Amino acid sequence: MGKKKRGHPDVEEILSRPWCYYCERDFEDLKLLISHQKAKHFKCDRCGRRLNTAGGLSVHLNQVHKETLSQVENALPNRQGLEVEIFGMEGIPQEVLEQHRNRIIQNFYQAQEDRRIATGNPPPGQSKNPRKKIKIETAEELLKRFAEYRAQRKAVLASGGSMDGVVQTGTAFPQQTFNQPGFPGQQPHGQAAYGFSADSLPARPSSGLVGAPGLPQRPTQAGFWGSSAQATASGDEIDQLIRMAEAGVKPQKRPEEGEEAGDGKGKKDKDKKGRMVYDDAEFSPEEKMAALPRYAYIPPVGT
Amino acid sequence: MAPATQYELSPPPGDAVSSIAFAPDSGTKLLVSSWDNKVYHYDITNGPEASSLVNTYEHRAPVLDVCFGADDNEAFTAGMDWTVNRLNLETGELTPLSKHTAPVRRVVYSKSHGILVSASWDSTLNLHNLNDPSSTPITIALPGKPQALAGSPSKIVVAMTGRIINIYDVDSIAELFRTGGTELKPWQQRESSLRYLTRSVSCMPNDAGYATSSIEGRVAVEWFEDTAESQARKYAFKCHRQAAPDGDGDIVYPVNALAFHSVHGTFASGGGDGTVALWDAEAKRRLKQYQKFPNNVAALAFSNDGKYLAVGVCPGFETGQNDYSGAGQTSVFIRELGENEAKGKGTK
Repeated sequence: MGKKKRGHPDVEEILSRPWCYYCERDFEDLKLLISHQKAKHFKCDRCGRRLNTAGGLSVHLNQVHKETLSQVENALPNRQGLEVEIFGMEGIPQEVLEQHRNRIIQNFYQAQEDRRIATGNPPPGQSKNPRKKIKIETAEELLKRFAEYRAQRKAVLASGGSMDGVVQTGTAFPQQTFNQPGFPGQQPHGQAAYGFSADSLPARPSSGLVGAPGLPQRPTQAGFWGSSAQATASGDEIDQLIRMAEAGVKPQKRPEEGEEAGDGKGKKDKDKKGRMVYDDAEFSPEEKMAALPRYAYIPPVGT
Repeated sequence: MAPATQYELSPPPGDAVSSIAFAPDSGTKLLVSSWDNKVYHYDITNGPEASSLVNTYEHRAPVLDVCFGADDNEAFTAGMDWTVNRLNLETGELTPLSKHTAPVRRVVYSKSHGILVSASWDSTLNLHNLNDPSSTPITIALPGKPQALAGSPSKIVVAMTGRIINIYDVDSIAELFRTGGTELKPWQQRESSLRYLTRSVSCMPNDAGYATSSIEGRVAVEWFEDTAESQARKYAFKCHRQAAPDGDGDIVYPVNALAFHSVHGTFASGGGDGTVALWDAEAKRRLKQYQKFPNNVAALAFSNDGKYLAVGVCPGFETGQNDYSGAGQTSVFIRELGENEAKGKGTK
């Protein structure tokens, strides 16, 4: 990869940039990062005071405004917690650091490849989908993958779903395409309120390949980059979250709760699991209350 | 920045809150209707220290809704006793305006035309022409039982069971009074975007559209304009849910109340989970989620100047409950909003 020119920094340079644990944004230097955190994540919304840490803000809110801080503002859904004490680059858990590193590396090479495709001059000896060739599976792996595929196929058929998506992607881990979390609040919907009937799979959310729509979905690059599959997968999820954030869409809750735009099957399962506190389709809580002796009104005769 | 505060009104209503309304002119005067047969009149000018209760108005039965009329001294109430009342806040005089054949769920007043619309569980609307006090109200049959009612400058939105939403044109109601007719066709009839029973409706202050919420932790935003572009803009999202303590799925709460901010056009939603969230309808963003209130949020109202948010908190009615009381557990919180607290982020 001897291509570092035209304003594309090399991977080491990108990796050395300080970045924000709460929103995954990276910055020129640590000072900028810290002022970003103070302004975006540790600012008191009651009086505008900028604190140094989430803990500091929590104490401030408690003492000055008698309120409790429940989450870090403007943070990615899985980073809103107050348990981790972050200041600049300090305090980021090891696995998150690794995840971030993997994501950066992955995005870097992805961008590099996208540029190559966009410019139309692939480097010699590389076909359109190099990963396929590079990935070498042992017999066990192959068998395992086949078993997984069959199980998945069964599941999809059982739920009445079409196999289209799976067949089309034709990659090693097609479910990755589907399991990317969708988010409520961004998908305009038509008259059919939710469109999650199992036999009409909704359109897939666009994957990470922004610049190259024609490119087949890549298999996981676990083997390729020497990272664990787990880390890569969660890296994808974070990517997705960041893209959502960039697109100006804020997920309402944690990603697991927001299946709306995603997989029809998953959505249905989720709905079954949601337990409604009140679920009468005909009578409102007020009507039920009205029927209680405590609130009953007996109209006087003759009025 | 102004020190924003939140405090509880004292004394609180004696039972569950059904509705909260701020006065059209004064930004500090509000009415709270309660299941304890009373309407409470508070004035919050003196802040948290002073007692803010000005008066209470006793009704025959639980009061299900209250709204202000032409000025700060006129209000209308809807009650379990099937009656729509005019309430004179100065004298406390209660004048029945019309009678339904079932409890009256909601009342809404249209300032521009001097019209009062009441919606009752007898599946009718009563239209009152307040410009002509001697006229008898016109009763309009609805295709379903109304659950929520809201007015914008030009429209009245009625959400019913069976996911039916009727939108009436206020001008055509005025026309009806003029011609003396008794038939009113909805300007539009729509199917609710939400799959479950509608809980609340609120109209955008700019008259462009409305938001609805359902018992199943969801809010939909739609626009009035009947063009493909406008209709394509509508969306719905989940909210007011909590991960179940046993980790198995979510607990889904009803979204009991919606209120648009008159200045910034953002809106607040209040749910059974005891939280209030602020949303930017245009940017499809959540602006804020307030810290949990001690109980179910039953009613919300912004003051007309947008400086205050009143939150009615009382126990929520849950499926299968066969005794309920909000006595002793009901409170009304006033939140003084920071200058930009309810402002959409996109406009910053």
